Amino acid sequence: MAIKVGIGVSIHKDPLQAAKEATEEAKSKLKEDVSIGFIFSSIEFAHPIVLKVIKDLIQSAPLIGCSGLAIISPQGILKRGLGIMLLNLPKDIYIASACVKQINTQPISDPGELLGENLMHGFKGLRRCFGMLFCDGFIPQSSTLISGLQKVLGKSFPLIGASASNTSGSLKSYLYFNQDIFNDGVCGLLWGGKLNFSFGIKHGWKPLGKPRTVTHSEGNIVYKIDGLPAVKLYMEYLGWGLDKLKRELKYISIFYPLGVNIPGQEEYLLRNILRIEEDGSLYLHGNIPEGSIIKLMIGTKESCLQATEQAVDETKRNLYGKSYDLVFVFNSLSRYILLGRRAKEEIKIIKEGLGKEVPLLGLYTLGEHAPLRAIAYQGMTYFHNQTVALLVIGG
Amino acid sequence: MLLNESLISQINNVIILASFIMIIALVILLTSKTEKIKQLESEVDELKRSLDEMDEQAKLIIRTDIELNKLQEELDKKMSGLYILQRLSRIITTTLQENQIFALIEPNYIEELGFEKASAFLWNEKEKQFICCLHIGYLKDEIETVKKFIDLKNEIYLNLINNQRSISSLRKDEEIFTKEISEIFQVNSFILAPILPKEGEKGFLLLGIDNPEISITEGDEELVMILANNIGQALDNARLFEETWRAQQELEYKVEERTRQLTEALEEIKKVSQRKTDFISAVSHELRTPLTSIKGYASILLTGKLGQLPNEVRERLERINRHSDELVHLVNDLLDISRLESGRTIMKQEPQNLKEIIDHTIDLLAVQLKDKRIDLIVNIPEETFNIFVDRSQIERVFINLIGNAIKFTPEEGRITISSFKIKDQVQVDITDTGCGIPEKDQEKIFEEFYRVDNPINQIVKGTGLGLTLVKRIIEAHKGRIWVRSKESVGSTFSFTLPMST
Repeated sequence: MAIKVGIGVSIHKDPLQAAKEATEEAKSKLKEDVSIGFIFSSIEFAHPIVLKVIKDLIQSAPLIGCSGLAIISPQGILKRGLGIMLLNLPKDIYIASACVKQINTQPISDPGELLGENLMHGFKGLRRCFGMLFCDGFIPQSSTLISGLQKVLGKSFPLIGASASNTSGSLKSYLYFNQDIFNDGVCGLLWGGKLNFSFGIKHGWKPLGKPRTVTHSEGNIVYKIDGLPAVKLYMEYLGWGLDKLKRELKYISIFYPLGVNIPGQEEYLLRNILRIEEDGSLYLHGNIPEGSIIKLMIGTKESCLQATEQAVDETKRNLYGKSYDLVFVFNSLSRYILLGRRAKEEIKIIKEGLGKEVPLLGLYTLGEHAPLRAIAYQGMTYFHNQTVALLVIGG
Repeated sequence: MLLNESLISQINNVIILASFIMIIALVILLTSKTEKIKQLESEVDELKRSLDEMDEQAKLIIRTDIELNKLQEELDKKMSGLYILQRLSRIITTTLQENQIFALIEPNYIEELGFEKASAFLWNEKEKQFICCLHIGYLKDEIETVKKFIDLKNEIYLNLINNQRSISSLRKDEEIFTKEISEIFQVNSFILAPILPKEGEKGFLLLGIDNPEISITEGDEELVMILANNIGQALDNARLFEETWRAQQELEYKVEERTRQLTEALEEIKKVSQRKTDFISAVSHELRTPLTSIKGYASILLTGKLGQLPNEVRERLERINRHSDELVHLVNDLLDISRLESGRTIMKQEPQNLKEIIDHTIDLLAVQLKDKRIDLIVNIPEETFNIFVDRSQIERVFINLIGNAIKFTPEEGRITISSFKIKDQVQVDITDTGCGIPEKDQEKIFEEFYRVDNPINQIVKGTGLGLTLVKRIIEAHKGRIWVRSKESVGSTFSFTLPMST
């Protein structure tokens, strides 16, 4: 049986009115009881009262989502807006939701594992298909959250999700879970039962130059590459001094991220540089284990859009002709910045590729969680940067 | 025993030989392996060199790519900036109200231009202070603080305006100055451009970015300067419109005032004219009764029934009788004009034959025509026969006009009466070969009591009311009368009459 979907969007200046407007629109389109609600919004709508209004309207159904730089909606990209997707699930599709808060202020050894256990708590004995997760975009554990979840759910269990983001320059992002709004946390949703789903994950950056070895790293900080301070790699390739490199870092990080070679995989895992430390080490958005073979990556607007087309094709290919009822788009904000005015083209490719009539909702993220290769049950989930991750689900 | 020793010796020899052969073989193998290793090492070196070369090429590619990307980004930014600017300019130039220009610059335009904050100030010469016309991205108290700081050092900003100079945080040679502006306007980078309308208050526009990660470019500077320039032009347009509008208002007021005065004057004239008409009418009536008595008594006396009159008395009585006739004629004309003016005369318009009216008039005036041997040409085509008029009144028109023509045409002169059709009207022309009317008099001859100063008028007496009466009768028939004349050549009096359907 098909999943019933209703999407509502609002750009009303008053967050309260916007929440009411979007939820009522979604409800009127759904015309059924709400099983679960997803909310993605720009930062202006990150307010508890917004969640209260929505919860009052959808009653006991769980609500999950996060903030983003911009919303991807049926109406296009909204820099300031609120999007709600309400689902009515058939009886043979199961979900379980959970969240873990204050992961950096509480002594939680493995928040990913804890989230996995909380999710599994309501899912014992049921066939689980895949998981969705949303985490604060500014926590350093984005990569380790996945390994924690994999301890409980299995190494090859597919996970897909987004790191929440915010307007450029702001360092806070928000998670929405039922009536709670918080950062420094993670929330997840486990899907199971009789459903069809598929992923498509691509970035479009290509490796350039000779392979290098990470000779010293800890988590998301790379200290040395080929025995030299990590920053030397960029100074060498660009021919720039440290000051200029620091000044242009945001731009360089998007155009020329580091690519981590994963043995046995075709695609490189991308890593953005968030800052250059005084000792010449690179503070990355995601981990690179010591001993990893890395390369400098290069991308263009064209290669970026080509990758989106490939992600669409991959999503459809992995479905093996099965139907789907809705689309989620988790797209990196780096792609939004890189593409500029052509960002609309990317959304058009997705809409046209996956069906103009299929309900679609998404957001621009600080990082994406998805299997490196989108072959169900075979790809292992990683934390990505600069990637477009597509998820389609059908009953 | 010896055999054994010999055998052992032979075996030893074989072993030695075999060992020797093995050693040689090993040496050969080792040599070959060493060569292979050397070859492989050389290949590895070659590969390393190729890899290094490839890496060098990669560096070149990246450096070129950066340049290209930067150029592309700048170009994209410029294009999108120009697009926004065009939209914004179109919007601000649509208003002709000065206070609306800044209100139309909405936050989304500033955001799309790539800025977070915007403010604009105009210098008020009377109050000697800057007036804030636009603030985006500032709270009310924040912009008030900004204004205070600007007013404290207003000479700096006035200097920029007067020198038509823009300034931005890109200017590293003026870092102290630009840093101060950045602090005042609470931005990390900014562009300040003067707003320079040709007339009136001048000022400046500042667009800024708070986010230290976003940098401005020279392209941005050009865009802000164009925007400031467009605002200046919009201000000019608005002010010009305001000025024109005020002038028009003033003119409209003056026209209204003048019209009111003229209406009042016209009303007064109408009243006076009415009073004159009433007066003439009253006086004429009052005059007619005694005149009738005078003329009656004079006529009785002249019959001689009351006794034979001496010649001198008869002569004087005849003069009284003649003058009384003239006076009666004058009074009648005055009364007719007065009736026509007041609308008391009702035109009994009926279908009539123009030719018959003209022939009848000619019969009446046949003696005078004959006396002066005037050649009369009448050209009335049949299509103009049917007219819709009050016959008795139109006969008076013809008597007056033909009578005048006879009066002013010398002996053996010529009078032509012709008519032709113009749409639903008939135009009649009466042309004489008389002395003509001077140009200065041509417009006045239809006025009451106006008589052209010429020798004939000095000899022949007249009331000066004939043409006035003619004009009133024609106008009462919704027609028009005019004259074309040349001195010593003659005159043509033309008038129109309604046709009978």
